[in-house]
This record gives sequence, structure tokens and C-alpha cells, in this order.
Amino acid sequence: MNIWSKKVLLITFGVLLCGVPQAICATSPLEQVKVTVVQVVEVLRHGELQGEARRKALSKLLRSRFDFVIMSQRTLGQHWKKATEQEQEEFVRLYSDLLEASYIGRIEAYTDETIDYNSEKLDGDRAVVATVLHSGSTEIPIDYRMVKKGDDWFVYDVVVEDISLIKNYRNSYGEIVRKEGYAGLFELMREKITELNEQPAGAGGKT
Amino acid sequence: MTVISRITLLLAVFLVVGVSSPWAGEMEDDTVVASATDQTEIDWTELDEDDHELEVWDPLEPFNRGVFWFNDKLYFYLLKPVAKGYRYVAPEPARESVGNFFHNLATPVRFLNCLLQGKAHDAASELALFMINTTFGIAGLFDLTPDDMVKPDAEDFGQTLGRYGMSSGFYLVLPVFGPSNARDAVGRVADSLVDPVTSPFYLKMEPLEVAGIQAYDTVNRVSLDKDTYESIKRDELDPYLFVRNAFMQNRAAKVEK
Repeated sequence: MNIWSKKVLLITFGVLLCGVPQAICATSPLEQVKVTVVQVVEVLRHGELQGEARRKALSKLLRSRFDFVIMSQRTLGQHWKKATEQEQEEFVRLYSDLLEASYIGRIEAYTDETIDYNSEKLDGDRAVVATVLHSGSTEIPIDYRMVKKGDDWFVYDVVVEDISLIKNYRNSYGEIVRKEGYAGLFELMREKITELNEQPAGAGGKT
Repeated sequence: MTVISRITLLLAVFLVVGVSSPWAGEMEDDTVVASATDQTEIDWTELDEDDHELEVWDPLEPFNRGVFWFNDKLYFYLLKPVAKGYRYVAPEPARESVGNFFHNLATPVRFLNCLLQGKAHDAASELALFMINTTFGIAGLFDLTPDDMVKPDAEDFGQTLGRYGMSSGFYLVLPVFGPSNARDAVGRVADSLVDPVTSPFYLKMEPLEVAGIQAYDTVNRVSLDKDTYESIKRDELDPYLFVRNAFMQNRAAKVEK
């Protein structure tokens, strides 16, 4: 190895080790969840953004970490395959709006909660990140199920106290589709989204 | 420049670009979402093998929905207002102590079910916590569980039956007590024989006393809860279906543990 290659190697490692340490860490699923949560909290607590602009910022953060297409496919299960392309697209659109609205509603109501990032279990391109939310004297375990795409990890299910959100919706949405078809389901979803957006989060009386 | 150094330089460029891309991904979400939809080799509509589907059997749905509606009214028109007033007069630490007291009082139920499930270690933990909290914790008002100690999961007879292979049976919404199922309803009756408040074998309280104590326990719980039911009602398309599935998933997981 000549002096040139040594120099280049040194610079490379130098850049890697000192220059972008957060970027290196951010490739692990746990760190990526953490980064998103920190950014969300940042927007909520310290940002100057208000109202619509704040919602947009939160929405952007969520959509870069959650894979709503996979979530939609998993939620509809067999119904997804039978749906037309328009129905699929419409479902993904409404479903992401709905999940986003209720998720933002919940995190906006948080005040003194803290989160422990306990562990990450990797299995090929899948991972489970285990966290615990501390709220007063109660502890709520929240697991994020993630899938790797490129360098990024995307959440495709959230498991709160052993209750998988997707499995729950798979059950209830499935039942609604069976009984009322997509027209009925979309109608219900649209109503809910309007309702959630009109009613400011945390307005339901706090502890 | 030699070949090696050129390769190294190339590698360096790749590494730096490759490593910094996650950052770029967080900023430009549109591109990420677009690439996310490209990968369709996996059939995401199927759950994983170890993640079996949970089918809820609910032959009594019309009846259950009626009771669910009743409990909903009971919650909003009676329980919640009382809990709010109570929350106003009693500071949170006091209410937490009341919660600790009731939790400690119900130790016999958890202890016995640990034993029935062969969980000797958990049974020992329950017993040790009971002795420490009843004495040094002043009748259980203070929870002296050490920080580094993992509290045993709360066992009940429904879980014990589940552990020995009994399936949960049909879904059942009980008036006042809320979501349950055939197996857990039976478990509830069995546990009430052991629970000091309800047991007909010792303490032997009057029905009115029992009702009063249970009502207070419930009001105290609601006062400490952060609007769980409200947010379910707010967020879900059909709260009945959401609660039904969440309850059954949670119980299935508890039986496994």
C-alpha cells in the first residue's frame, strides 16, 4: 500500500468516525425510531409551528417512518387482493390520513411522558424495536415492527400491550368490508377523518 | 495514483454517500415512499407464520353490543363524573396509594393462580411483595417493589384455565365489568371465592360493603386512567370491534406468558 492509499483510507475512516456519527447510528432500526420520535417531540414541544403547519410537519415525519402501503395490505388481508386498483389506492390514502390523525391526536395529548428504548431484535430485513412509555405510575410496552428497505427501516405494525394494531384492524375492517363493502368502509373512514381533524386533539378532557 | 488507491477512493465516496443517505431519506419523504411501494415480492396481505390470525367468536353480538352500549352510558354518565370529582378532591399520590392498597389486597388471587400454573418463582415474588408491602408499606398503601425487580404478571383463574388448554370460548360483555369471554367469566367467579373482598369463606363482608368497596376501587382506577376509553371512542370506526379484538389479543398473550 502506498502513501496515497493510506491517506485516503485515513480520511475515509476519519470522515466515518468523526464526521457523521449520527448518520451511522441512524441505520439501526432502534435509532431510526428514536430519531423520528425525537423529531416529533421537537415539533410538538419546542417548535414555533402551529396549527396546520405543525400538522403538516408531523405528517411528513410520520410518513417517512411508517409504511402505510404495507399496513394497508396487512389490514385488508384477503380483501386487498379482491379490491380494484382504485379501491386499493383510495384505501391507502384514507387509511394513512386516519392513522395519522389519530396518532397525532394521541401524541399531542402527551405531556410528561418519557420513553425507554429497550432493545431491537433483528431478523434479516425485519426487526422489532421494544420501547416502554412511562406515563405517571403506569408503564406501557410499545413494540414497533419494522421492515428494511434500502437503508431505511419502516414501521408496519405497532404492538401496544401485546395488542397488534394491524391484527386488530384486520379483524374490524374486515368485518366492515364484509358487511358494508368498500363504499360503506370509505364512508365511515371519511367521516372519522373529518371528525378527528375538526376536534382538536386532547380536547376530550385531560388528567 | 495506483489502482488500489483509486479503488479506495471510490470506496470512500460510496461509503460516505451510502451512509449519509438515511438522513436524506428523512428529509425527502416523497422519494422514500415512492421506493417503498416498489418492492412487492413479499405478500404482505398474509400474516407471518408465528403470527396466527385471531378469530373472535361472538355469537352473542347483538346482546353484547347492548351491554357495551349500557356500559358506555354507565361510564360517561356515572363513573366518569364521579371519578372527576374524586380526582379533584384527592391528589394523585393519594389515589395511587389507594390503587396500591387494592392491588396488595388481591394478592391471594394472584398467588394461588401462580401456584396453580406451576410458577413457583412468581408465587414467591407475590408472597414476598405482599409481606413487605403489608407491613413496611402500611397495609399495602405504599408499593415498595425494588426498582430492579420485575413484577410478576397478574395471574388469574381465566389464565390458569387457558394454560391448561381451555380455549377462550365466545366473547362476552359483562354489565359493569366489561369485556370478557366464556372462560374468563368462569375464572372471575372462581377468583371471587379467593379474593378477600368477595370471598364467602373469610372476612365475609355484607353484599353492600362488597359493592361499595368494588365501586370505590373502580372509581379510583378510572381517576388514574388517562382517558383510554375516550381515545378509543374518538379514534375508532367501531369501538365495539376494537375493544373486542384488543381484549382477546391481550388475554391470549397473557395466557402465553
